[in-house]
Amino acid sequence: MISRYTAEVGTATLTAGLGLAAVVGALEFGIGWGDAGPEPGAFPFYIGLLVVAASVGTLIQATVGRRGLQSVFLHREEAKRVASFFLPMLAFVVVARLLGLYVATALYLSFVMWVQGKYRFVIAVASGIAAAVIFYFVLEVAFQVPLLKGPLEAALGLY
Amino acid sequence: MLKKTSWLLATAVAVTFGGVAQADWKPAKPVEFVVTSAPGGGTDNFARVVQSIIAKHKLMDQSIVVTNKGGGSGAEGFIYTKIATGDSHKLTFGTNNAYLLPYVAKLAYKPDELTPVAAMALDEFLLWVKADAPYKDAKSYIEAVKAKPDTFKMGGSQSKDTDQTLTSLIQDATGAKFIYVPFQGGGAAGVQLAGGHIDSNTNNPNENAGQWKAGAITPLCVFSPTRLQGGVKVTATMGWSDIPTCKEAGIPIDQFQMPRTVWLPGGVPAESVAFYADLLKKVSETPEWKEYIDRTSQTNRFLAGQDLKTFIASDDAKNRKVFEQEGWLVR
Amino acid sequence: MENFASLLHGFGVALTTYHVMLMMVGVLLGILVGVLPGLGAPNGVSLLLPLTFTMDPVAAIILLTSMYWGALFGGSTTSILFNIPGEPSSVATTFDGYPMARQGHATQALTLAFLSAGFGALVGVILITVLSTWVAKFALRFSSPEYFAVYFLAFASFIGLGAASPFKTVVSMGLGFAFAAVGMDTVSGGLRLTYGFNELLSGISFLIAVIGLFGIGELMLTMEEGLRFDGIRARVKVRDVFKTIATLPRYWVTLLRSAAIGCWMGITPGGPTAASFMSYGLAKRLSRRKDGFGQGEPEGVVAPETADHAAGSSAILPMLALGVPGSATAAVMMGGLMIWGLNPGPMLFVERPDFVWGLIASMYLGNIVAVLMVLATIPLFASILRIPFAIIGPVIVVVCFIGAYTVAGRPFDLWLALAFGVVGYLFKKLDYPIAPLVLAMVLGDKAEDAFRQSMIMSRGSLSIFWSNGLVATLMLIGIALALGPLLSIVLSRLVKPKASSAVA
Repeated sequence: MISRYTAEVGTATLTAGLGLAAVVGALEFGIGWGDAGPEPGAFPFYIGLLVVAASVGTLIQATVGRRGLQSVFLHREEAKRVASFFLPMLAFVVVARLLGLYVATALYLSFVMWVQGKYRFVIAVASGIAAAVIFYFVLEVAFQVPLLKGPLEAALGLY
Repeated sequence: MLKKTSWLLATAVAVTFGGVAQADWKPAKPVEFVVTSAPGGGTDNFARVVQSIIAKHKLMDQSIVVTNKGGGSGAEGFIYTKIATGDSHKLTFGTNNAYLLPYVAKLAYKPDELTPVAAMALDEFLLWVKADAPYKDAKSYIEAVKAKPDTFKMGGSQSKDTDQTLTSLIQDATGAKFIYVPFQGGGAAGVQLAGGHIDSNTNNPNENAGQWKAGAITPLCVFSPTRLQGGVKVTATMGWSDIPTCKEAGIPIDQFQMPRTVWLPGGVPAESVAFYADLLKKVSETPEWKEYIDRTSQTNRFLAGQDLKTFIASDDAKNRKVFEQEGWLVR
Repeated sequence: MENFASLLHGFGVALTTYHVMLMMVGVLLGILVGVLPGLGAPNGVSLLLPLTFTMDPVAAIILLTSMYWGALFGGSTTSILFNIPGEPSSVATTFDGYPMARQGHATQALTLAFLSAGFGALVGVILITVLSTWVAKFALRFSSPEYFAVYFLAFASFIGLGAASPFKTVVSMGLGFAFAAVGMDTVSGGLRLTYGFNELLSGISFLIAVIGLFGIGELMLTMEEGLRFDGIRARVKVRDVFKTIATLPRYWVTLLRSAAIGCWMGITPGGPTAASFMSYGLAKRLSRRKDGFGQGEPEGVVAPETADHAAGSSAILPMLALGVPGSATAAVMMGGLMIWGLNPGPMLFVERPDFVWGLIASMYLGNIVAVLMVLATIPLFASILRIPFAIIGPVIVVVCFIGAYTVAGRPFDLWLALAFGVVGYLFKKLDYPIAPLVLAMVLGDKAEDAFRQSMIMSRGSLSIFWSNGLVATLMLIGIALALGPLLSIVLSRLVKPKASSAVA
């Protein structure tokens, strides 16, 4: 169980970090105002500072109003549901990087339909493969848009 | 520089041997044309014209897939090519940015990690001013700029790229001082000139032809050793061949041109380099190619092998000198 | 009047069976690419381009522009049904279109969107017909300071709208600006904020952010709430389409205002995306039902759609008359024009009137064809919502990631989309507004470039933004729009304590 307060603080810290990254990155390019206007780093630098300042503002707001933020951000049940959606999606991206988008699509759709959709294994796998094949024909053949491919496509001789 | 020479030597060797072994290599799967500009850019048009000619004349058995990787002024495409070491099915289209970009930006590729295949055309640069400006020739314009340094605005495409390099060369050669304003592309620089927001630009013929025809702007001279081809009149009184060379007109710069180049990744067999050089040579001999060259008023010049090597070396040295002097070098 | 004669001639050119068939094919293909995020109009157009080399230029441009219309309509469809904008310019449509769909009003939302889009496009085309010469001249008066002023205007009309915490709004917008700054900097010719990663060279694509923030983020929220699409059980009735058509005249003020904003942003360099945001922002400000916005207010669908299409069609004019493409699609089409041997520019109207007026006439016809065809597809699209979520949910996930990959063919973008998905989920749960981030990403680097170009021109003097009547007027309107909400907040703060003390 995560409280709203924790979530607020976590997110504000994340945005402050991103702002800080922009500030640090911008320092490399000069942040002054030359005779031809602002230098390349000036804009990202001040934007970064602004993001950091506003994130700190959110942090202060959250800490001051801490009492009001004790409500639950995510119940255990909700967290489970989000995880059951997010983890397969994460696996999908990892598999896509390793084996290509088509294989990942077939595996992901089959898995989700079978495990979460409670469809019969055969139907789930058949739909997954069918979807991947349809995507192949629409994108690769009809629109000539190449997708990320892996060893399977190479073995089949598909470019 | 030593590294660069050895790379050029290696290429020369590769191309020479490639000539013998030519028949031995053929693409085994579709060839990817990597375009180092966004859709609609000059390099994009170049690649798509080559693609359409190969398709029309069936010069290659395999099909062609075009992908645009124009991020970072084209660096994205060259890095993509570098990573594909040894892959003879990726042909990359660019300009002299292939070997000039790494000078001005910290990039994760070096020119010697790419294999040059051919240069197919030279794009020309002209000096343009607004049609109703009181300058009849390049000389009087330059005099006017010299009289009031740092007030005349020269527009161009991007920063630390060909247009700004040329502007820097003009300043060196004449002693005039411009304010250089970088725009997103040559088209935008052309419209800014037509609207009178800048005083001149150094656009390629094809970027400004429409505005010239409409009488909004006029060319003063061309940065080419000889006048342009094409006797047809563009306006009532002038055609491309009526434009004096800049040398004639009093700006002592003989030549400033941008090659349209084609590359393979590093580590590819010499046979494949030879195959593509031969293929592109065939492309450059078709009427459709001539038509493209005429329409865009470029100079038709096919370079491969030793000639290409010599050309790249001299173009590289010339540009590097400007970069050094302007303090643009990053390493 | 001369223009009308030319237009009639143009209709003669465009109205052949062959051309009308091309329009239908183009619209259908366009809807297809528009519905798949990532596969936008530029993909479709550049794919069809080689096919058109052998066609006659009029037929070719009719095919391509029809595809463009189709793609614009298709983009709105996914915005409304799945909260995934198929095209950047349909982001604003999600704000109220998606809530409408979730409440079971998908049919109404789609019908309103298509009709107002068609209306906007027609206004845009009429503008081109009547004022083509004047518009082309007017566009020439724009230089970097004016560009900056137009972007400023778009920002000013949109910020200060939401009820979110001001800190959170600033964070969201600031992050958008920072993301937009990543990659090659036009003005200095150097790379920024890439931290040595090749993947960041070409910057962070706006489309990836939208796919993650809207598509994936929304799916995570839906999952958390437990697998329900509230719209599922809504029956699709063809009668609803006609009923909704009858309600359209009610929104005439919004329609006219949004069309005007759209035309303005199409002619000036603002573009369709900025137009739709600005129109949404102003509609909300001026509406009597302000609180309904964001919860499924029909006006919130009508406003951005009208402006989007008005801008999209009027933007064709600068492309033809000046040779400056206003969008990626226009750039591809321009490449096509040149390959067909036509030089875009002021002389195109004089040299090839048959082509130009044939194209303009086909824009009228193409739009009508497009509206009729998309209206016919509404039952089909709305019925997608009846597919069980266990199937459609994962399919949307796959489509999102495939879309993210096809944007630029970069595997890294898959990770980026996932990260934006998580950010979108957190932001929504914690009431961070997402729209400012999106707007800043679209306009941020353009506004910055325009500002710095102006500074180069003026040698660092800000006075360039007051240097002529046009730019000064734009800046003043922008400042007034930006300060408006602030003033009203200050005023209400000043007034409130008194009111409460009076009660006490």
